[in-house]
Amino acid sequence: MTASRMTDLEGRRVLLVEDESLIAMLGEDMLLDLGCEVAVAMRLEKAVAMARATAFDLAILDVNLGETVSYPVADVLFARCIPFIFATGYGAAGIDPAYGSVPVMQKPYQVDQMARMLRHLLVCEALPAKGESGRALPHTCTFGAKITEPHPIRAD
Amino acid sequence: MQTFDTSTTTLPTLRRGSQLHETERRLNAVLNNASVAIFLMDDRQHCVYMNRAAELLTGFSLTEVLARDCPLHDIVHHTYPDGRPFPLEECAIDRAFPENNQERGEEVFVHKDGRFYPVGFTASPIRDDDAKIIGTIIEVRDITEEKAAAERQRLLTNELNHRVKNTLATVQSIAAQTFRGRTDDAARQMFDARMVALSNTHNVLTSQNWEAASLRSVVESALAPHALAEVDTARFDLVGPDTRLHPKVAVTLAMALHELMTNAAKYGALSVPEGRVGVHWTLERIAGGERLDLAWTETAGPTVVEPTRRGFGSRLIERQLPMEFDGSAVIAYPPGGVTCHIRIPLTALGWHGQDLVTGRATR
Repeated sequence: MTASRMTDLEGRRVLLVEDESLIAMLGEDMLLDLGCEVAVAMRLEKAVAMARATAFDLAILDVNLGETVSYPVADVLFARCIPFIFATGYGAAGIDPAYGSVPVMQKPYQVDQMARMLRHLLVCEALPAKGESGRALPHTCTFGAKITEPHPIRAD
Repeated sequence: MQTFDTSTTTLPTLRRGSQLHETERRLNAVLNNASVAIFLMDDRQHCVYMNRAAELLTGFSLTEVLARDCPLHDIVHHTYPDGRPFPLEECAIDRAFPENNQERGEEVFVHKDGRFYPVGFTASPIRDDDAKIIGTIIEVRDITEEKAAAERQRLLTNELNHRVKNTLATVQSIAAQTFRGRTDDAARQMFDARMVALSNTHNVLTSQNWEAASLRSVVESALAPHALAEVDTARFDLVGPDTRLHPKVAVTLAMALHELMTNAAKYGALSVPEGRVGVHWTLERIAGGERLDLAWTETAGPTVVEPTRRGFGSRLIERQLPMEFDGSAVIAYPPGGVTCHIRIPLTALGWHGQDLVTGRATR
C-alpha cells in the first residue's frame, strides 16, 4: 500500500478523538498502520485534558461527539499550535464558521485520505487559526487542487 | 380571511373616563390582540364573549354566536370528523365545568365553512366571590401545523429506520460480493453475525423512535439466536431491572454481549449442552443518573483456559467500552467459567441539538 510507505508519518504522535467505539478502533488501526503513535480519546473532557497535557504532532477530531462537539479540543490545539483536521460524515457545511479554516476529512475513514491529509498538515507553512469567519481568513493551508501537486516535505 | 366588525367583540361599554372604562379598554386591547382564541362561557355552556382570534378561528362573529342562543358546542363542535353528530354530553370541553385550572386537551372543531381543524384547548373555571363556579374560560389554538409537523416527523423516522436497515443490508451484500472466494467461511460467518447483532440493536432503537432503548430489550435481542426468536431460557438467566439506554450505550453494549456470546458458543459454556450463562444486572443511583453494573457469568462449561491472544471482542469490551462511557469492564477467565463485569454510568439521555429539535416538536 502506498500509505504504508509514507515514512514521514512514522513515529508521529497523533491524538484521535472519536466517540464511537467501533469507529475509534478502525481509526486507531489505520493510524497504527501508517506508523503513528496513537492516543485515543472518546469523551470531550478526556480529549481536552490530553490535548493540554501532551505535545502531539497531529490530531484528528471527530466533530460530533454524541452529546457535544469537539470544538473545545480544537481551541486547545489552536492555542498550542498543534495541527489538526476535523473528521465528519456531514461535510464541511456542518462546521461552525469560526473553524472554517480547519481541513475537513470525510467519514467513513479511509487510510489513503487520512495519510494524505496528515502529511499535508506536516508540510503546511501556516497553521489555520480560529476566527469569526474562518473562511475569510488568509490561510495557506487550504485543501483542493493544490494537494495533488508535489510538496516539499519538511525535514525534521 | 374573513373580517368582522370588531365593535361587537368588546366588553360592554362603560362610561368614558371612569376607572372601569380604562380597565375595560386595556382588557379589550389584550384580548383582541391575543393570538390565542379566548371564549368566556356561562353556566349553560353558552358563549358570552369571544375575542377576535376566536372569531377568526371559528369563522363566526360574537354577534352570530350570541344570536344562536345555544351552547357553543353546537356551533363549533357539533360533528365528529367521521360525520357522526357530536352531542354536548360527550364533549370533554363543555360537558361540565373543569374541576381544576388549566385542564388541557385536544379536539377537532368544525369551521363555519364546514371544514374540520384540530385544536388544543385549555379550560379553567371562573368563580364568583363565594368561590362558586359560574362559568368557564377556554383558550383554544389551531394545531394544524403541529399535527402536520408530527406527521412529517413520523414519516422521517420511518424513512430513517428503512435507510439504516437498508444500509446495513447493503454493507453485508458488498462484503459478501467482495470476499466471495477470497476469504474463509468462518470469517464471513463472523462478519455476518456481527452485522446481524448490530441490525437487531437498531430494531430496538427504531421501535422507540431513536430516543432511547430499553435495557432489557437490548440484552434480549443481543442474546436471542435471531431477530424473531426469544432468548433460550434453558441457557440464559437474565435478571435485572429495566431502564432506558442512550442509543450509543445500546449499540456498544449489544455488540459487547454479542462478542461474549460468540466466545461462549465457541469455547465456553454455550459450547456444551449443559452450560449456562447468567446475565445479572443492577442499577445504582449516582449523581446525575444511575450506574449499570452488569455481570456475565458462565457455568457448567468446559474448563476455561485463558486465551493467549486478545481479539476484537476483548478489545471492544475491555478497552473501548470503558473509554466511551467513562466506565469499567473486566473479563476474567477462572477455570469454572468466563466472567465479565461491566460498569457504565447511565447519565443524561440526549444528543447534541436535541433541545433544538424537541423544543419545537413537543410542547
